[in-house]
Amino acid sequence: MSGPREVPDEPPPFLGTWNKVYVAVLIYLGLIIALCWGFARALE
Amino acid sequence: MSTLDWIVLFGTLVSIVAYGLYRSRGSNTVDRFLLAGKTMPWYAMALSIMATQASAVTFISTTGQAYVDGMRFVQFYFGLPIAMVVLCATVVPVFHRTKVFTAYEYLEQRFDSKTRALASVIFLCQRGLSAGLTLYAPAIVLSAILGWPDRVTIALMGVTVVMYTSLGGVKAVTWSDVQQMVIIFLGLVASLATVIVLLPKTVSFPDALYLAGAAGRLNAVTTNFDWNDRFTLWSGLIGGTFLFLSYFGCDQSQVQRYLTGSSIAQSRLSLLFNAVAKIPMQFFVLFIGAMVFVFYLFAQPPVLFEHSQMELIQKSPAFRPLAERYAGAFNQRRAAALRLIEAHHTGDAALERQRVTEYRAAQRAIDETRTDASTLVEQSGGERGFSDTNYIFLSFVTRYLPVGLVGLVIAVMFAATMSASAGEINSLATVTMVDLYRRHFRRGASDHHYLMASRWATVFWGAYAIASAGFGRKLGSLIVAVNILGSLFYGSLLGVFVLAFFFRRVRGTAAFWGMVAGEAVVFSVFKFTNISFLWYNVIGCAVVILTALAITWAAPGNARTSAA
Repeated sequence: MSGPREVPDEPPPFLGTWNKVYVAVLIYLGLIIALCWGFARALE
Repeated sequence: MSTLDWIVLFGTLVSIVAYGLYRSRGSNTVDRFLLAGKTMPWYAMALSIMATQASAVTFISTTGQAYVDGMRFVQFYFGLPIAMVVLCATVVPVFHRTKVFTAYEYLEQRFDSKTRALASVIFLCQRGLSAGLTLYAPAIVLSAILGWPDRVTIALMGVTVVMYTSLGGVKAVTWSDVQQMVIIFLGLVASLATVIVLLPKTVSFPDALYLAGAAGRLNAVTTNFDWNDRFTLWSGLIGGTFLFLSYFGCDQSQVQRYLTGSSIAQSRLSLLFNAVAKIPMQFFVLFIGAMVFVFYLFAQPPVLFEHSQMELIQKSPAFRPLAERYAGAFNQRRAAALRLIEAHHTGDAALERQRVTEYRAAQRAIDETRTDASTLVEQSGGERGFSDTNYIFLSFVTRYLPVGLVGLVIAVMFAATMSASAGEINSLATVTMVDLYRRHFRRGASDHHYLMASRWATVFWGAYAIASAGFGRKLGSLIVAVNILGSLFYGSLLGVFVLAFFFRRVRGTAAFWGMVAGEAVVFSVFKFTNISFLWYNVIGCAVVILTALAITWAAPGNARTSAA
């Protein structure tokens, strides 16, 4: 049985490096939590 | 359902299955059947990952969860972006470079065959049971609408899933998932728009938000720390991160999705898309449940949303006084809600506080009556520990949504379930074939032989899922049941992968016994404590690592059996 083929690694299509993309995702998470918290407090 | 609903339902289902099979033509080698020949674009993998995780449970159970408990379930997903970032940076490139078919294949490269076999068996136990629950969800739909027995609908759905999964492999699963997510999105938007339109003319959208919030249904973030509380900010961030690391890093049903990527970047993008999109999507689904709660403030809901159990207690002499008490409690709550809106509009803070107290007391009276009705179910010979959470949204859909939209929403549930179940069965077959059959029972056979073995394994796991689906009814909220089941096993799997990636000195025997100890401790915690299931992953992972490190420290002389 043949194995899967080799796949290439590539830079991300935005922000230049993968590390910058990861940081952007974590900042986004912080904003989402802040928004959810604000939403809950405002309507409690 | 009307004729139009049936046409929409069957038209949608047939088109999804046909499209998936059309896109999967040429899946005639093991590599193409199990990994789509590593040709999938990121958006197809991303939507497939989302659809596999969403399933019908997302519609049925999450909305019900918001109705009875508010939106705090969204915190469960706060750990997901963190887990995705960790996996993209560590696991994804390693799995691609080692050219594995399954996550557990890597464990043999890093440790030994017994560690790989144990991890495979743990996965098969956990995912096999979950596949049964995934099939059970649409059985509720058909039971509620057609009065069919659960077992018949489970078998019908299961057989359909097995047919297209065994024919088209992972490509059929992935491309049908893409269509699923488009339809799911349409169904979500249509459901929310409808529930808002159906609110009384005197209740504006801001009023609806205010009433939901005052009843604690918009509690999206709770910052208290409590080991026994399932959904808090901390259990979501810490426990959720561990759960999603396990789910997306060690569970073949997800790993197989991103192993089909045409490059490492495509696989990373598919996971990061989920990191960004999943929380807003879950928020949206929960918000629909909160709005259904507001809708039922003004339209009297049934005492119980499950029709057959309702019929059962109606025969009891205790039902009539209970129903009268419920009607009275509903009228009081509706009046309290209207008075609260009035007080809110006047801007009188003292009056508003008083009205909020009245409104919450009226809600408690409703909750107590429903609890008494559940007790009456047991006393009348019905289900023990009865919960109708999973029936709330369905009841709303079938009673209040317009013709055509009912068929669409039901089609969404069916299609999503079939897709999620197909993904699970596909991954179960892959692990059975690659990690057990090809590794331990039949080595060196032809590609065609393994392709046929994969198809037969698909049939076997489909039958297993159908058989185990009958347990769904006994498990309360389905979405919680699915995650509890996962958490019983995921911690150990995560622990052994953490050892593989970050503890280079640990060897196969230490990793193997670490997993055994991890499972023993997690099952003990489940059996003998009230600790929330989200912490099982943390505990299991920690026990595996500590046990393996202790064995490595105690017996440092044993050489590692194979290199990474």
